Amino acid sequence: MDLFLQLAANGLVTGTFYALSALGLTLVFGLMRVVNFAHGELYMVGGLIGWALTAVLGWNYFLALVTVIAALGIGGYVIDQVLIARVRGQGEEPTILLTIGLSIFLANTALLIVGTTPVTVASPFASKPLFLGPVVITQARLVLVAICALLIVGANLLIRKTKLGRAMRATFQDTMAAQLVGIRTAHIYGFTFALGATLAGAAGMLLGSIYTVEASMGGVISLKAFVIVILGGMGSFAGAIVGGLILGLSEALWGGYVATGYVDAIGFALVIVTLLVRPYGLFSVRAERA
Amino acid sequence: MNLLKSLPVGLLATTLAVAAHAEDTVKIGLIQPLTGSVAYNGTTDVDGVKLALGEVNAKGGVLGKKVEVITEDGQCKPANTVNAAEKLIQRDKVVAIIGAFCSSATAAIMPVAQSNKIPLVTGVSSAANLTEKGNPWFFRATETDALLAKSFAKILVNQLKLKKVAYIGVNDDFGRGSVDEFEKQMSALGAKTVMKEYFEHGTTDYYTLLTKLKASGADGAFVSAETQDGSTLVKQKAELGLTTKVFGVGSWATADFMKLAGNAANGIYAAVPYASTMDSPKNQAFVKAYEAAYKVAPGKYSAAGYNSLHILVDAIARAKSTEADKIRQALHQTNYEGPNGHFQFDDKGQATGFTVVLVQLENGTPKVVAKNTVEK
Repeated sequence: MDLFLQLAANGLVTGTFYALSALGLTLVFGLMRVVNFAHGELYMVGGLIGWALTAVLGWNYFLALVTVIAALGIGGYVIDQVLIARVRGQGEEPTILLTIGLSIFLANTALLIVGTTPVTVASPFASKPLFLGPVVITQARLVLVAICALLIVGANLLIRKTKLGRAMRATFQDTMAAQLVGIRTAHIYGFTFALGATLAGAAGMLLGSIYTVEASMGGVISLKAFVIVILGGMGSFAGAIVGGLILGLSEALWGGYVATGYVDAIGFALVIVTLLVRPYGLFSVRAERA
Repeated sequence: MNLLKSLPVGLLATTLAVAAHAEDTVKIGLIQPLTGSVAYNGTTDVDGVKLALGEVNAKGGVLGKKVEVITEDGQCKPANTVNAAEKLIQRDKVVAIIGAFCSSATAAIMPVAQSNKIPLVTGVSSAANLTEKGNPWFFRATETDALLAKSFAKILVNQLKLKKVAYIGVNDDFGRGSVDEFEKQMSALGAKTVMKEYFEHGTTDYYTLLTKLKASGADGAFVSAETQDGSTLVKQKAELGLTTKVFGVGSWATADFMKLAGNAANGIYAAVPYASTMDSPKNQAFVKAYEAAYKVAPGKYSAAGYNSLHILVDAIARAKSTEADKIRQALHQTNYEGPNGHFQFDDKGQATGFTVVLVQLENGTPKVVAKNTVEK
């Protein structure tokens, strides 16, 4: 029983982290229909900037987090306006090729500047064990789960409640109608991609404080994020959270009771089953689109 | 328009000029993973090669020519490594190749080296079966998992008083190979196997694995992993408050490992073919030069790259020719003194005579606990 509780706790914590790291992808995927293969690289960039600010320059953790969010927001906006805007409306393939190209560019630029050495973001939270009954966890992880929840709720509120969020949803439901009512859709595309990049970068920096960050890690991150997005339903916030938790829990339980060696196969097995049974994911948002 | 038309001609002229210039150097190919999950380790190998290259060329190169190293990225993947080897052989016309990193990638280019008659030297790939394939063009200037296990299993079992051992390895032929070899040696000494698990390269969260380790009741855990995976694992082990003794193989006795793992690295044992704290004068000179060049102490793969290039250049010098077969014969006569001891090759191309050490990590330095010379 103690083993089960510990495994379940591990799974829920990693599941939350998975959800956070997939949020930016599901947003861009669901709203913009842009399959962003550079998602993992944006995560990596966020992590590396976070490392540079906290560990090299000695900045405060939260100040660095805000800076990462701002930097990735501006960067994401520029990427959309300068690159993605040029292939907008030409179908999905050109965007896919473009983001694959972008991912290679970002990874190799990072390799040139930072090199291949893995690094960690300096965190003010203790990584000493905390014993909650039979379950062991660290303060750093608990705080991260809380920050993850805040970010997820915050991003959701932004999309549901604010004027910008309404303009976003309007633009992606019907671009023409949105333009007719006076929404500057070109900017909305930019803001949406910026929000996606921000979430990816924030995830990179937050998780970089308990794991390691390195220039060539983007591929693995993207892969897991795609699993979660397909599992939960493209573009669905609830889907990303539930998808992340399911993946985290099933990996932990499979690893704990069967074998850890092939744990990555779990995610892909789940994806195959989802595509066969519910091809639009657990939380489909098809109805939202005109 | 004229400009565009003349462009190909111009390019051709440039290529010819480069080719003509290239005649003046002795070209050696180097294949390491420069991107992907073990990119960090591959780059430290390249750094070691570059340091050796600088030393060689400062002394005037070999056969009166400068040595040129052409580096290609094999990504630790067999397919990419084969492409890199073909490119180095067909296009760059290298006289010999150093590489690759991962045993599976090295195994993939061994037939390429054989069919093109190009000497292939690896300083890294440790899967024991590589030198058993009967490939006369292949040379391994490092230890095998079996040699390490044989050297240190007894010291580990006795010194750590191990009764129940858990084995954790990265899920590839290096991890599986070393887990199997160590398990074989340690079981023979009476240590019971209570757990045997693998993880993927680049795994970030080891809580599940560590929870299992805790439940297994092991008093010692053998871990075969590279810097990033290994450091994350021992860090998370400390986070979970586990006190199981850890000993491992892989690039553990490096400055970066200890920096990443922090206090969690204290007390860990690592069986390695090289540690920057080895006390030979040759090593002290190497460490000094390496630190001057890269501002960090050399690790296992820095020494591997450094040795590989020196061994190869030394063979070319003794062969007095860049002819493949003469280099191969000269490699068999190798008698090289490196930072970690003496290297010579047996009939199968396996190096012997060098030193392997068991170190204990303490406050950022690997302290040598025991050492052993690899005999034939």
